[in-house]
Amino acid sequence: MSDGAHHTPSTSQYWKIALGLAVITALEVSLYYIDNALELGVLNAAMLIGLSLLKFVVVVGWFMHLRFEKPSLSRFFTGGFILAISLYAVVLGFMAAAVLRS
Amino acid sequence: MTDLAHEGDVTAEDHHDEHESLGMDARKLGMWVFLSSEFLFFGALMTNYLLYSNRPGLADPYPGTIYDIPFTSVSSFVLLMSSLTMVLAHAALERDDQHQTRTWLFATAALGSIFLGGQVFEFYEFITHDGMTLTTSPVASAFYVLTGFHGLHVAIGILMLLSLWGIGHSQGALSDKRGFNVELVGLYWHFVDIIWIVIFTVVYLLSTS
Amino acid sequence: MTTTTERPGVVEEAPPTTTIYRRPKSTEGFWGWVTTTDHKKIGIMYGYAAFFFFIVGGVEALLLRIHLASANSEFLTAGAYNALFSMHGATMIFLFVMPASAAFVNYLLPLMIGARDVAFPRLNALSWWAFLFGGIFMYSALFFGTGLAPTGVENVVGNLAEGGRPGGLNFLADMPDGGWFLYQPNAGPDFSPGTGIDFALLGIQILGVASLVAAVNFIVTIFNFRAKGMRLLRMPVFVWMTMVTQFLLLFSLPIIAIALFMATFDRNFGAMFFDATGGGDPILWQHLFWLFGHPEVYILVLPAMGMVSEVLPVFSRKPLFGYSAVIFAGAAIGFLGFGVWAHHMFATGISPVAQAAFGLSTMTIAIPTGIKIFNWMGTMWMGKLRFSTPLLFAIGFVAMFVIGGLSGVTHSIVPSDWQQTDTYYIVAHFHYVLFGGSVFGLFAGIYYWFPKISGRMLGEGLGKVHFWLMFIGFNLTFGPMHWLGLQGMVRRTWKYDPATGLEPWNIAVTVGAFIIALSIAVFIYNWWSSRRRGAPSGLDPWDARTVEWTVPNPTPVYNFATTPVITRLDDFWHRKYTTDDEGRAVRRPEADQMIADLEYDGRNPKTEIHLPAPSYFPLLLASGMPFIGWGIIWHTTTWGLGMVVLGVLLIVSGGIGWALEPLEEAHEEDHPHDEADEDEETHETEGASDVGRASESADTTEPVETS
Repeated sequence: MSDGAHHTPSTSQYWKIALGLAVITALEVSLYYIDNALELGVLNAAMLIGLSLLKFVVVVGWFMHLRFEKPSLSRFFTGGFILAISLYAVVLGFMAAAVLRS
Repeated sequence: MTDLAHEGDVTAEDHHDEHESLGMDARKLGMWVFLSSEFLFFGALMTNYLLYSNRPGLADPYPGTIYDIPFTSVSSFVLLMSSLTMVLAHAALERDDQHQTRTWLFATAALGSIFLGGQVFEFYEFITHDGMTLTTSPVASAFYVLTGFHGLHVAIGILMLLSLWGIGHSQGALSDKRGFNVELVGLYWHFVDIIWIVIFTVVYLLSTS
Repeated sequence: MTTTTERPGVVEEAPPTTTIYRRPKSTEGFWGWVTTTDHKKIGIMYGYAAFFFFIVGGVEALLLRIHLASANSEFLTAGAYNALFSMHGATMIFLFVMPASAAFVNYLLPLMIGARDVAFPRLNALSWWAFLFGGIFMYSALFFGTGLAPTGVENVVGNLAEGGRPGGLNFLADMPDGGWFLYQPNAGPDFSPGTGIDFALLGIQILGVASLVAAVNFIVTIFNFRAKGMRLLRMPVFVWMTMVTQFLLLFSLPIIAIALFMATFDRNFGAMFFDATGGGDPILWQHLFWLFGHPEVYILVLPAMGMVSEVLPVFSRKPLFGYSAVIFAGAAIGFLGFGVWAHHMFATGISPVAQAAFGLSTMTIAIPTGIKIFNWMGTMWMGKLRFSTPLLFAIGFVAMFVIGGLSGVTHSIVPSDWQQTDTYYIVAHFHYVLFGGSVFGLFAGIYYWFPKISGRMLGEGLGKVHFWLMFIGFNLTFGPMHWLGLQGMVRRTWKYDPATGLEPWNIAVTVGAFIIALSIAVFIYNWWSSRRRGAPSGLDPWDARTVEWTVPNPTPVYNFATTPVITRLDDFWHRKYTTDDEGRAVRRPEADQMIADLEYDGRNPKTEIHLPAPSYFPLLLASGMPFIGWGIIWHTTTWGLGMVVLGVLLIVSGGIGWALEPLEEAHEEDHPHDEADEDEETHETEGASDVGRASESADTTEPVETS
């Protein structure tokens, strides 16, 4: 096929990646129940966010082939992602601070 | 060759001899550029939800108290697996296996529909059983509008998948060189999936406790 | 395949006989315009529509000024006044400056980068029709909207004076009346129970779709469709500023889309987002609105900055001073534009930390803006200035923008801002940047590129009359507003007391507004007469520098008979001029012959040129959008639901037709060999880091097995 095709995962690799994603999801759900029992608090939040970011990166990198594309594409995409995160973090921070002060 | 660029034939290879470009299909570049702006779209909705989700003094019930985590875990899993079937459809097309391409496309649409059905059921339960509607409180409004717009994205994706499936059937073969193609719909579909990955963690798992 | 006799060598893609869909057959006449996918025709339609809305917004402004010329005026009712200032702002921003910039981008972008069209011609047509329907939808409020006031204060809408005098143009009060910013909860269901606001919310939503689609289209065009040799750092500054603008649109429009949806749900479906009684937070609206609204300010002014950066070098007969600095400054303005939104909110009680941070970030914007001003002046310095109308408008832009920029810096100092907030000082400031800036820049562009569109020159004498009338009228209108504001005249005030002593300056402002109107009348006459009787322009009327002037005027339908190859910045200039021993520009002896050749070759292409096929579907798809809007407003009625269904059907049928429309048969028949040798193409890319990856790309370089 194309000169790039052998770099993208094969069908069996896709199945393995999906299996990994399923395992992470199971981990997330079990973390949720562990947290209900043990009250892990911030640690739980950090682990859950970390795991979902991992899933995010795997889907974008392998299923959407971003790992195998030109770097310019990742720049557009991560640019939008980082911009969104930073803008909304500032909004949330200021608005939460306003609630705390009142 | 002095061919004019158009959606149908704007493929990088046609133009490399006489164009400066990033060396990739224009439609694909366009889809990625569009998807990068979607972060701002869903980001605003999630900000909205996070702002209100822990704010004291709103009318009950808070969505965090009524989530059915096992149920949503299953439907999240279904959507996640639809990303697998989507990528299998694209891989089959790269092998030019038209039959498998159509099968996986249909499977993706079916899994997406199951997810959407689950969402309708969830909304129905929240409204009739738990008494949480769009008008209950700002956080309820935020929940319905966030998950609703995600559901709308899924629905549009299903429509595109079924169109591809139909085109594949009626014209006998699909091609990624066509203006409306498997790879582009796939990118869109995976993106909708990653948005749900974030929603499931941030909105469901993290704001329940 | 049919070859038209009028345009030898041009091949219109013939309608295939196999499809069940009706395809447009003609590219001429009325249906030629309706179904066109030609970026030039779309640009011209954008331009005329934008100018129409400019007149509408101008008439609204004149009505406001007649009203405010006298203290305690009864000329307009309060409701009509509110609606007029709201629609004046929304019209000038969304329906005039943005589409006028889009007109220039559409017409010029492909020409300036040496392309035959934009990346997605049908999406381009969709943008244009969605814009038009969005504008029509907003103004349909005049016929279908209701401007009700909250219970108990009905007479506010009618007339605050005793008895509620009828008349006073009160029918205008049915239009959206919440300001262009639609602050919540004032524009929410409790304080604006009529439907007027919904027309603004949904109308801007439709206009946003148009701009978002256009942004994706133009970004891809700039990145993927430059002529050979047109490296990023050889692109004209206008193209660079366009690129920054499109990224700003791309990332700011989704934010306002959400804000508009939230307000729409609040107003129509009982959501609680901005309802303070239920725990909602109206300040969230201001954050989301200005997260969009401040980049929007740069969206309005950056294209004009680009145009001025094209005009100044040509009329100074010098290269742009500090080309890369101007580009860097433009990109910096775009980037910083996302980090200053809360300076619109200093008076809302945001925290001292936020006030300090956003005050500082606002001041930093002055740095790249100052760099640009400096570079424009450096371009003119020691230049052989030709004071033609485009240069006059460009100088007007620079001068007025400096004033507007400086008054802007005064807002970044928070205590000072508290004094100015919601006074006429603010009105003066943003008119100096948006009228003195954007509109002067747009007129510089109109006078400069008119020959490109028509093949004729706009009248110079009338042009200078236009400029001086507009310059005097503009300063008489908006200059005194500074003092009015500092004296305490409140923005959006319906009436003021004669005892305040504000009346004399208000009369001056109104006189200024009518002088602007007169200047626009001069311009309209000039346009109308020059289109028929203007002096023929020839190929290169201004001794220009950029590649769009290497094709005949008016531009042939295929743009370039042969696609150009670019060897350096200001390529066309360097083909005409060389330097002598002392570094002075000397016209090459062969330059005149070269221009004559360009004129002849440009009209007589040697090879067949495929043009994008016309299509009905962009229009069909866009036409569904206003119906969904009307359906949402009247969703409680049966026919309202019917309209939603109709709208969805139009969009879906348009989309299906679009997806199935055959586009490439002719191309595939003609060039079956293309797909065989595509693997051998070398990928030319910009960054060195890209080169190594080029061969690994998994894009569509795979050949399709055609038997």
